[in-house]
Amino acid sequence: MNKLKKSLALIATLAIASTALVACGGSSSSDKPADTTKASDTTKGSETGEGNTTTTAANAEAPKIEFPDTGDKLSILSWTGDDLNVMIDCFTKNTDYKTDQVVWVPVGTNGGEAREKYATYFAGDGDADLLFLEADWILDYIDNDEYTAPLSKLGFTNDDFKGCYKYTVDIGTNQAGVLKGATWQCTPGAYFYRTDMAEKYLGVKTQSEMQDKVKDWDTFTATAKELQEKAGKKIAMADTLGGMWQVWQYNRSQAWTDKDDNLVIDDYCKKYAELAKEYYDKGYVTKEDQWQNGWYQIGQDESTLGYFFCTWCLGTGSMLSNAEGGVKMKDKLDENGNPMKDEKGNKIQEIDFTEDGKVQPLNKDIWGKYDICNGPSGWAWGGTWFAASPKCDNGTLAHDFVKFFTVDPVTMEKYALQKSEFVNSPTVMKKIVDDKSNHNELLASGDQFAILYDAASKIDMTGKITKFDSQIKNEFNDAVTKFVKGDIKDYDAMIEQFKDKASKIAGLHVD
Amino acid sequence: MATAAQRRIKSVSYAKYGYIFTAPFFIVYFIFMLYPLIQTFILAFYGNGESNKLHEAGTCIHNFVGTSNFRAILLGGEDRASRAIHKEFFHYFGNTLIIWIGNFIPQICLSLLLAVWFTDLRVKMPGKGFFKVVMYMPNIITAASVAALFMSLCGNSKYSVLNNFLLNHNYIDEAVQFATNKWSSRIIVMFIQIWMWFGNTMIMLMSGIQGINESLFEAAEIDGANSRQTFWRITFPLLKTIMVYTLLTSMIGGLQMFDIPYMFHTGNIINEHIATVAIFIYDFFHKDYLHPSYGYSAAASVVLFVITAILGALVFYVQRDKDAIELRKKRKAARKEAQRKAARGGGLGL
Repeated sequence: MNKLKKSLALIATLAIASTALVACGGSSSSDKPADTTKASDTTKGSETGEGNTTTTAANAEAPKIEFPDTGDKLSILSWTGDDLNVMIDCFTKNTDYKTDQVVWVPVGTNGGEAREKYATYFAGDGDADLLFLEADWILDYIDNDEYTAPLSKLGFTNDDFKGCYKYTVDIGTNQAGVLKGATWQCTPGAYFYRTDMAEKYLGVKTQSEMQDKVKDWDTFTATAKELQEKAGKKIAMADTLGGMWQVWQYNRSQAWTDKDDNLVIDDYCKKYAELAKEYYDKGYVTKEDQWQNGWYQIGQDESTLGYFFCTWCLGTGSMLSNAEGGVKMKDKLDENGNPMKDEKGNKIQEIDFTEDGKVQPLNKDIWGKYDICNGPSGWAWGGTWFAASPKCDNGTLAHDFVKFFTVDPVTMEKYALQKSEFVNSPTVMKKIVDDKSNHNELLASGDQFAILYDAASKIDMTGKITKFDSQIKNEFNDAVTKFVKGDIKDYDAMIEQFKDKASKIAGLHVD
Repeated sequence: MATAAQRRIKSVSYAKYGYIFTAPFFIVYFIFMLYPLIQTFILAFYGNGESNKLHEAGTCIHNFVGTSNFRAILLGGEDRASRAIHKEFFHYFGNTLIIWIGNFIPQICLSLLLAVWFTDLRVKMPGKGFFKVVMYMPNIITAASVAALFMSLCGNSKYSVLNNFLLNHNYIDEAVQFATNKWSSRIIVMFIQIWMWFGNTMIMLMSGIQGINESLFEAAEIDGANSRQTFWRITFPLLKTIMVYTLLTSMIGGLQMFDIPYMFHTGNIINEHIATVAIFIYDFFHKDYLHPSYGYSAAASVVLFVITAILGALVFYVQRDKDAIELRKKRKAARKEAQRKAARGGGLGL
């Protein structure tokens, strides 16, 4: 056993060292030597190649990985394989680890379910090394030492994440100021519009012309009015109330509570509620709901000019692709040719690629007609974080995995291009934008990263995160939706109901 | 000889096999039914939240809080949280009653009508068996599927069947929010409940009608009674017991109604016009899973239990057999009278 472990560690070291050497030909070099030393830490002086001298000093205070290496497989808890399967593929392709060394442990079928089921999972004796946590409820878990361990135990310092977007580090830090979550993605959002409609009704030809028409909410409203007048029919500018809310919820000027956990209701609440009401009544936003079939249909029948989408809505088979009519799908088959089914017994579908690896759009009239512009304000939507389980028994492997996707710019770039993901590093994203190495056939301009790179820099969450956020936001949005749909008569009644509901949140003080 | 036989009878006792075979039921019953039942009553007197304070600082599920959960639910209180809980409980309780009454009355009428038709000897309906099966069918479909089905038939989306139809024929200008508007959503839920349960009720009423002595109907026919008279004078009075049973089971089920109202919504927002007491209970211990408010949930369950028990008793009281009581009273009086007479007679005799 010991021998096996040693040789595994040696192989791992050599693998990482060799990728470091390969990458040395490139431009960036600050991070690679750290790789080798960290690996040598764990293998206790096995050969590491050159590059040591420059980094020993920088790594002198680097914490050691405190988890043992006794486990045989890295178990990652997640509710979805969408990201993780590509990650495992990318990770094993670019390191010496084998595909069967990293396994996905499915917990629940969506983020909300996972949120509940993790606690149950931890009560049992199932293996857990890393877990995925969603932005909305990450604090529930990183505030609790039973479920998550500090990243320093995985051998990371806060400095390792200096190259990440700051707001992602803010969200990954718990109330006590301990960094427990790291994410591979940054999820800025933007406004996506139909280029053909924009040209027909608004005479807009370029992305920057469109941006001028939606640069802030006043302009956005004016354009919405103009659009309906010129088109002579009810066309919305925003897809759904849910979409508008995603933009607004990232744009508060202060946190939802003060330092004594009192609920703060400010002008923002009134501004949003009234804007939403106006938009709904005048048809500047459609009456469809997010995540329902209608959400995608409005993009095709000229019900709306555009959508609020973010980075993870833009891949093949995702939301934007559905809004453009979707692509041909087929049942996913197992080795024996039988259709595969998920936990609930539904058939799993996959994209039906042509022989030369192309997707087959179902609505050729709209496919590729959308394009991107920044929209009225900077915002982000969701995102998923890694955290280490206190039960982690694959310290080195877990360290390498997290590092691969969140710290090391070379491997992060590889992942960004493989998954068309906006990775959590301005440096890497800048390089991709400058190299123009990304191509997205869903967009008329062919690239989303140039605009999103700009949008990401505007996200600022410093001092605005509280442990009540997800609950407060749900209740507020709930109340606004009822107000907008006419269920609640006026704004004051809405605030009253919002306060009533919020008063049930444990620990929150509502006057 | 006899002693040996006696001995053998004594030594072979089959009683223990009886206990062994029935044990699994009792073990399961005690663990999964009786214990949780008692525990619910106990929890109703304990606090809320894992480590704090839903509204009273320092209480958690391990603290005995007396009747404060009940007070909050039934009477409200000084603080906003208690008032909100109070308001919400009665709002949801009202919804429950409205939806239950709105589905029970049409349902029982429809079921009764169909049951009479199906059992009437004079109505020669072809394919009775087929209709019975088809009408029972909705009861077999899971509530989740039914909710999803109706969501796509009459949801909020302008692409849902009903909205699409109305829009295409220019009856409306834009999509009606059927699934979230107050009365449309309630009517839809009532309709779903009727649609799902009328077959079940019909079968029960049919068995009740078939239990009535055939000769009564024949006698009525010979005496020249028409169908209406037969129904009101014979079928209906004799069906009373089974009707009371239907009413009771439906009421208990109706007050605990959960699945359709809970699942008939889009997104994360439960429509509060159709939210029932069961949803109130579920929400409290489930929504904020890290701070489950078991106290309020349990207290609400107990309140619901008491209400159900009272309503049940009321139904029994109203539907009690007055003739039998009258008869018993008369008998009692007669007996007393006889005793008195006997006593007086005895006195005279002396």
